[in-house]
Amino acid sequence: MAEIIIDGITYEFEGQHKLLQFILDQGKEVPFFCYHPSMSAPANCRQCMVKVGQYVKDRETGAYQLDDQGNREVRWFPKLQTSCTLDMTDGMVVHTQETDTLVQRAQKDTLEFILINHPLDCPICDQAGECPLQIQTYKYGPEGSRFEVKKVHKPKRIELGPRVILDAERCINCTRCVRFTDEISKTNQLTITRRGDKNYPITAPGEVFDDPYSMNTVDICPVGALTAADFRFKARVWEMNQTPGLDITNGKGVNVDLWTRDNLVLRITPRFNPDVNDHWMADQGRDVYRLYNENRVSRPSIRLEDTKGSMDDGVAQVKTSWTNALDTLAEVLHENKASTILTIGSPYASVEENYALQKFSSLKGLPSPFFTPHILEGSGDGFLLTDDQAPNTEGCRLLGLEEIDTEEYKKRIKGASVVLMLNDDPIGRDILKASDFKKPFVVVFATNHTDTAKAADLLIPTTCAAEHTASYVNVEGRIQRTFPAKETRYTNRRLDLEMSEGRLDRYGTTFDNWVTEENRIDCKPTWVSLSELSQRLGIPFSFEHARELVAELSSQHPAFEGISFEKMDEERGILLRRAELTT
Amino acid sequence: MEYSFSKDDLAKIDEIKSRYPEVMPATLPVLWLAQDKFGHVNEEVQKLVAETLDLPVSHVHGVAEFYTQYYKKEMGKFVLDVCTCLSCHIGGGYDILKHLEKTLGIKAGGTTNDGLFSLQEVECLGACGYAPMMQINNDVFVNHLTPEKTDQVVEGLRKGKYPEFESIAMPLNPNTSASKETV
Repeated sequence: MAEIIIDGITYEFEGQHKLLQFILDQGKEVPFFCYHPSMSAPANCRQCMVKVGQYVKDRETGAYQLDDQGNREVRWFPKLQTSCTLDMTDGMVVHTQETDTLVQRAQKDTLEFILINHPLDCPICDQAGECPLQIQTYKYGPEGSRFEVKKVHKPKRIELGPRVILDAERCINCTRCVRFTDEISKTNQLTITRRGDKNYPITAPGEVFDDPYSMNTVDICPVGALTAADFRFKARVWEMNQTPGLDITNGKGVNVDLWTRDNLVLRITPRFNPDVNDHWMADQGRDVYRLYNENRVSRPSIRLEDTKGSMDDGVAQVKTSWTNALDTLAEVLHENKASTILTIGSPYASVEENYALQKFSSLKGLPSPFFTPHILEGSGDGFLLTDDQAPNTEGCRLLGLEEIDTEEYKKRIKGASVVLMLNDDPIGRDILKASDFKKPFVVVFATNHTDTAKAADLLIPTTCAAEHTASYVNVEGRIQRTFPAKETRYTNRRLDLEMSEGRLDRYGTTFDNWVTEENRIDCKPTWVSLSELSQRLGIPFSFEHARELVAELSSQHPAFEGISFEKMDEERGILLRRAELTT
Repeated sequence: MEYSFSKDDLAKIDEIKSRYPEVMPATLPVLWLAQDKFGHVNEEVQKLVAETLDLPVSHVHGVAEFYTQYYKKEMGKFVLDVCTCLSCHIGGGYDILKHLEKTLGIKAGGTTNDGLFSLQEVECLGACGYAPMMQINNDVFVNHLTPEKTDQVVEGLRKGKYPEFESIAMPLNPNTSASKETV
């Protein structure tokens, strides 16, 4: 097998590798800015310089030539090489900055050049704390600058598009954003204008950077040149904590990180998953932080009798206690004939929630739940946007929920006496009208005050994808799970080991001015509410945590055989077999 | 003004495209063709070139913006590109630029009111041995500039006369036929 000697350690390798990526894969480090594993390498930042050579061999005997100390002699390339573009060959000898002062010096001097015109505004820069330029300058850069002349000034606060703002002075012209629009999103909207010390990325004159994936350029920008219009100056990165989650705006199941502070989701960034979304996500998935924070259903609400079938929420619905809400629901279920009670699953709710409803209705002897998918033909793009608007349509199918079209959906609502609905918005989706809720008693397990929630008779607040651990099955049949990122009234970061703790969470108390009790929503996971309801109804149904539901699914449901949260974490989601998907 | 390529232009562009395995390298010669035709490659011309070549406008814009030789707006009849790069700077390039700014009454990047002269500050034109120097209309080099010589050149241009070609010998090779300077 081919061998390469990096900093005196021999590594074996097979096939074609670029040196930088190989070094990074070994868990070692070489600084770089312009390189990105998913895009072409132009080697224009010149930061990943290493010293490369080959051992000298005697041509006739094939023996290694030795120097005075008896070490093998190395014939070095005449100049340092950019490791990002260098193909590895057998017997290559590499010195990185860890073992070679020349490489150290080269990297330091390159950084000094990069920093000549870079403004020293880290204290007010959004990128500070997660800035490769800042980090690598600390690690490998010069201690000070020798350039005392005035820096070159370039345009600031340019709105490249509705979601991305450019500060050209901070740009180091790595061209990652330009290559992103050329190679990944393929809109070719960005280019580098001018030249020399005056250049910066920009759109063609009169064009707007409205790429549906534009905000990925903010993520890959190695400095604070590109910032997100709706996250600028919102928070320092070290104040937030980062929780893995899933994008719930379509069926792709893009892996994301939710960045929270004081139990508000402040931004959403993509999380690497080579099998789903690579390093990217669509802009629309980043906007759901509003959905997680705003307009939430907190504490149950109940409708006053005389306002049935209207949507004027706040007047018609009054807040009530959990006890009253669940007692009422138990009463309603008791009083009405089981066959006229509808249970409706939802492609917007997780596998666990749908399964809980399915199990609850079978134990209570109610008709089994059905759902209608939310497909908008033509809204997919073959990349990360899908026609499917919901995150868990395949999950509903796998569970064996009856799939019906919107006409049938309408018809069934008309004939029902009670409707028990998981988090979904049939009124907002234009399937139903508020007046359709005139006759049946409608109970919605809702996260937000949607049109449907406003027209409901009883609102049971339920946790959203940012608040519970639950799994979702994407359009390809891959089951993946979320972690709780936001605390509810009933969870606590310090006690719940699944939750991550940021600095402010760890060192704060409820009396600190950065802690806001109102940001913790008064809601419970659907399966917990159903368990409390079951207690009142005398049904053997009790689940505390999604883990128990998954364990039951795993052992009892053939489509979900062998799944567990641990396996989903380790394997970055489990691809459920297609054969079972179709049955 | 509507910008468009004639049938002949399009035939020429097809010929240019046939020289390269891909379309992208044709950007430079087609921009030249456009500049020869329209006198400049402003944003609309860039767009026309991009559409003709079926390339992203951003790419054509980036290329046109990179080179000072492409005029991104309408220029005067004579465009004076004064080099202020390293050798010319040391040789007094900025003095020549300032002198021209004074005599023409415009700033670098501007055009005189009569539409005769445009003045540009440019980077190295590859004539470091003859610094300071300038180029006229992307064509004639005027070397070893002094304020007096600059004045003569400007006066000549006002009469429509380009300065003559100067053959300058390399100092290392004094015996070639071009050794006698014809200043």
